[in-house]
Amino acid sequence: MNTLLAILWKDLVSEWRSRDRVVAMALFSFLVVVVLHFALPGADPAEVRRVAPGLLWVAYVFAALLGLNRAFALELENDALSALAMAPADRGFVFLGKAAANFVLLAVVQFATAVVFGLAFALDLVPVAVPLAGVVALGSLGICSVGTLFSAVAVRTRYREVMLPLLILPLLVPVLLGAVSATASLLQGERVPFASIQLLVVTDAVFLIVSFLGFEYVLDE
Amino acid sequence: MSASLSNSAVDRAANALRLPTGILLAVLTGAWLAAVARAPLDSVQGVIQKILYVHPPLAFAAYAGFALTAIGGALFLWRGDEAWDRLARASAEVGVLFCTLVIVTGPIWAKGTWGRWWSWDLRLTITLLLWFVYLAYLLLRSFTEGSERAARFAAVYGIAGLAVIPLNYFALDMAAGRSMHPENLQQGSLGAGMGWPFALGAGVCLVAFTQLLVRRIEIEALRGALAERVAGAPGGLERS
Repeated sequence: MNTLLAILWKDLVSEWRSRDRVVAMALFSFLVVVVLHFALPGADPAEVRRVAPGLLWVAYVFAALLGLNRAFALELENDALSALAMAPADRGFVFLGKAAANFVLLAVVQFATAVVFGLAFALDLVPVAVPLAGVVALGSLGICSVGTLFSAVAVRTRYREVMLPLLILPLLVPVLLGAVSATASLLQGERVPFASIQLLVVTDAVFLIVSFLGFEYVLDE
Repeated sequence: MSASLSNSAVDRAANALRLPTGILLAVLTGAWLAAVARAPLDSVQGVIQKILYVHPPLAFAAYAGFALTAIGGALFLWRGDEAWDRLARASAEVGVLFCTLVIVTGPIWAKGTWGRWWSWDLRLTITLLLWFVYLAYLLLRSFTEGSERAARFAAVYGIAGLAVIPLNYFALDMAAGRSMHPENLQQGSLGAGMGWPFALGAGVCLVAFTQLLVRRIEIEALRGALAERVAGAPGGLERS
């Protein structure tokens, strides 16, 4: 548990001092929102409302990929990955610390993106803000768990920026389907279907267990 | 010839299976071709229905390959024996080959019977996603330096790829609802005279899968032995 908090604290402090990752992710996802706006020229409000959940999650996934690609960059540059591997701590908790840091950074970016997204597509997200935050948190948990695991893998390969999306996008389909369907219900003013929450929770649990156990094997000494 | 290379169960099994599966493949392929030629024409679909004798059998082999990839990877992580990694790697490569053929034969049949090449239906989407996962698996292996590291990374990814299948199944079932692809899990869904060619097709594909798999494992084992010999030779060359 101390390992988790120590790593989370270290990542957040170093990010707070430089603020480069969050700024890059946020700017990138704002740009995605702008590009998506131009991808739907002349769409009427009802049409926008129908496709908005998917578009929002496209922006979120792109931002997450950008951030996750840098999740182990600092460790790699300073040769600290081996130190992490050799630390007298359970690697599962090292993983949880890194994943928690990614989750926090992504949450900040997601909040800012939602504001920009609401303005760009003239959607009033304020009334559904609380349940939407819950759905986004469940989706991000799944993205950050396999994302952190395979970021540690991708960073040790050639073409690492390309490798990460190729590895995790096919795995993220259940997360995206659950998150998009739950978001769609919220934007339509309906109750979130139990099936999509169930799907998100089960997927998060499976991904967290696989990543927690798998992280043992992806760090080199 | 290569019997002395390794004493692991994987290599022994591969050696034992090589010749029998080769012979069986030749015999079965002949019988299967004859059976398919003589099978009755489907009264509704016509000749295109004969893809039935190829398409699902290819899928059986592809799924077998992906299951073996995860099992081999898990055993490698557990036991640390490289032979299990050879099994995982060979299964992934052969599985991708069969999966590609499934994805090629499926749309041909779909165009003929459903009137369109593709439908985002449960089975089709899951198979397509599996194909992406295992192509990424092979890319990961070739982009990772160091065979031991590549084996570890790939094993973890192969296991994650298997774990995601039931999740995908549940997710796509929820999203897509009823599917176009037939279930055909119940007995007696094949017409009269179609059972034998289908069973032979399944046999041919599984035997062909095994034959390719053991050949691929053998190549990997020989490669490993060569690397060891080069490294161990006096004044031997550094292996790049």
